[in-house]
Amino acid sequence: MKGYTRYFRNRILWYLLTFAVALVLNFVLPRLMPGNPVASIAAGVTESLTDSKAAAEMMEEYTRAFGLDKSLPEQFLVFIGNLLKGDLGVSFRRYPTPVVQILKESVPWTIALQLPAILTGWMLGNLLGAVAAYRRGVFDRAIFPAFLFVGAFPSFGLAIILLFVFGIMLRVLPTSGGYGFDLIPGFNLQFIASAVRHYQLPFWSIVLNTIGGQAIGMRSMSIYELNADYVKYSRFLGIRDRRIVGYVFRNAMLPQVTGLALSLGTMVGGALVAETIFSYPGIGSTILSSIKAQDYPMISGATLFITVGVLLANLVIEILYGFIDPRIKANQQE
Amino acid sequence: MAEYILEVKDLKTRYVTRFRENVYAVDGVSFKLKEGETLGIAGESGCGKSTLAMSLMGYYFPPLHYTSGSIIIDGRDITGEDPEVLRRTVLGTEIAYIPQAAMNALNPTRKIIKYINDVLVAHNIRLSRTELREMAEERMRLVNLPVEVLDRYPVELSGGMKQRTVIAISSLLSPKILIADEPSSALDVSSQKLVIKMLLDLIDKGLVKSMIFITHELPLLYNVTKKIAVMYAGQFVEMGPAHESVFEPLHPYAKGLMGSIIVPSEGIRDEHLVAVPGTPPNLKSPPQHCRFAARCKFRQPLCDSVVVPERFSSDGRLFRCLLPEAVLRELKYEDQIKSKQEDAEVELDVNIIPFAEDNGDGDSGKESGG
Repeated sequence: MKGYTRYFRNRILWYLLTFAVALVLNFVLPRLMPGNPVASIAAGVTESLTDSKAAAEMMEEYTRAFGLDKSLPEQFLVFIGNLLKGDLGVSFRRYPTPVVQILKESVPWTIALQLPAILTGWMLGNLLGAVAAYRRGVFDRAIFPAFLFVGAFPSFGLAIILLFVFGIMLRVLPTSGGYGFDLIPGFNLQFIASAVRHYQLPFWSIVLNTIGGQAIGMRSMSIYELNADYVKYSRFLGIRDRRIVGYVFRNAMLPQVTGLALSLGTMVGGALVAETIFSYPGIGSTILSSIKAQDYPMISGATLFITVGVLLANLVIEILYGFIDPRIKANQQE
Repeated sequence: MAEYILEVKDLKTRYVTRFRENVYAVDGVSFKLKEGETLGIAGESGCGKSTLAMSLMGYYFPPLHYTSGSIIIDGRDITGEDPEVLRRTVLGTEIAYIPQAAMNALNPTRKIIKYINDVLVAHNIRLSRTELREMAEERMRLVNLPVEVLDRYPVELSGGMKQRTVIAISSLLSPKILIADEPSSALDVSSQKLVIKMLLDLIDKGLVKSMIFITHELPLLYNVTKKIAVMYAGQFVEMGPAHESVFEPLHPYAKGLMGSIIVPSEGIRDEHLVAVPGTPPNLKSPPQHCRFAARCKFRQPLCDSVVVPERFSSDGRLFRCLLPEAVLRELKYEDQIKSKQEDAEVELDVNIIPFAEDNGDGDSGKESGG
């Protein structure tokens, strides 16, 4: 157990280092974009002003308020200082709303959409892969290739097809938004029903896209495990087939956990596509509009949140791995 | 209690390949085993030894299929029984198996004690936590393993420990017959000896009534087993008491096989090791006539045209060869067949052979006039 703790202490140090590098990049990269965020924001305000001097003062006022008059290193120190206090600054685009508040509004939408969708896709994919390997027949010859085909679609393509078929041709599901335009978010039946209906298309577009890729890995791992010596030995010991399938499923699942970690890592990329196409509220849409408006604090804040999320997901999976696979645990203890 | 603990009658099993071809890996094997007896089965790679071991379990799953014959364990014919009944009442309890690759035979993600419990539960034996532990610990001591092994995963055990764990698990339900398929081939010589001794101890302690060893290491067999059978191309070509089978084999193939090993003894320096040239026949379409004929240096013209049945010597040893017993007894593998006239054939025992008895092979009967 001592070696185990040491292993994880080392891992956590590495994660902290990664986090530090990501933090710098999150700060610097948005600010390297060409163009001046103040110009576009001030343009709206100064439009009505005829006095060019007043307009220039207005610009200076905004620049100071955003802290853009300071040098980049100074800005960075301010950023870090505020970060330690849990303050990610104020959004330019929605001045003076704090970034933290915008994140609080959008993150639950993304997590509520992506996490269940990825987990469902992952589980269905694994199930399909295992059944295709074990039962063969129609599962292996028809259903599995069909999902492989669907999974090979680019995610935006699949999303648009679903949108077209269910939203426009059949008119059974709404085409955009997270809830009806006429509703105010709240815990009432009408709002929840509307949210669930709006949830379907983005959810299934992610699920359908995930299944094929997960199934292909699971199928080959299951075939490999089914031919393992322990399967034959267990059969000759009279162990029930159902239990042996349980062994096989579990052992074949192990590499799939890595697949899950990778999917969670790409969660936000997927969010961007699904949320944009379905005009779904969430961190993807927020990032997109922030980039358009060169809203530096918002971009840094959102990407920082994603960085932390991915790092934590990886750490959790790495710890879980040790518990579900004794071979990995033995390795971690060295 | 039946006279024989295990009786196998003309067992035939085959593999069906992906291309729907049949590979007749076990093609008419018969033998009987009394309680306390051990049988060794030897032969080169691909002769069907391991397939025979699996076929004897009576539990077939693809690609292995049952064709015909019967397996009678202690008076109960297990062939044709419902696989579910077989699984619950025969596998592990009547007949058990130690696999060739004991190193990988255990589920890598299951603790040994849990696996032991799985085996028990599969046979509707439900023990409490303490009962299970007591029983498992006793079995571990039997194979000289520390009880801590029970709480380990297979990856945490050494090769020899895994081997002994497998032995303990295979004999868990005190099977009447234990089949060990090359139980020691992956071990060094000293561990081999330990494993063999451990297996024989199981019989002495009454946990196992009878044992079948499968190996290609003949020196191991004759020290261990009472009877030895030599397998060639899916059939037994020789079977008899261990010492005779090794030192005075009857069948030409057995002579070659036994001549290819060194048994340390006085004057061994002057003896030449022999080799049997050629390869075994393809079991997809094994020859109807003598299967060894193509490689046999004592081959006679008739060997290529008649079916060779199992024959028994005056002292009850099995051999599958057309040459008369007396000739075979005298013959050494290094010899040439001696005959008074140059082109005269040795008189074969053709008159005692029931031609084409089982295969209905058309042309073999016609040539019996000679």
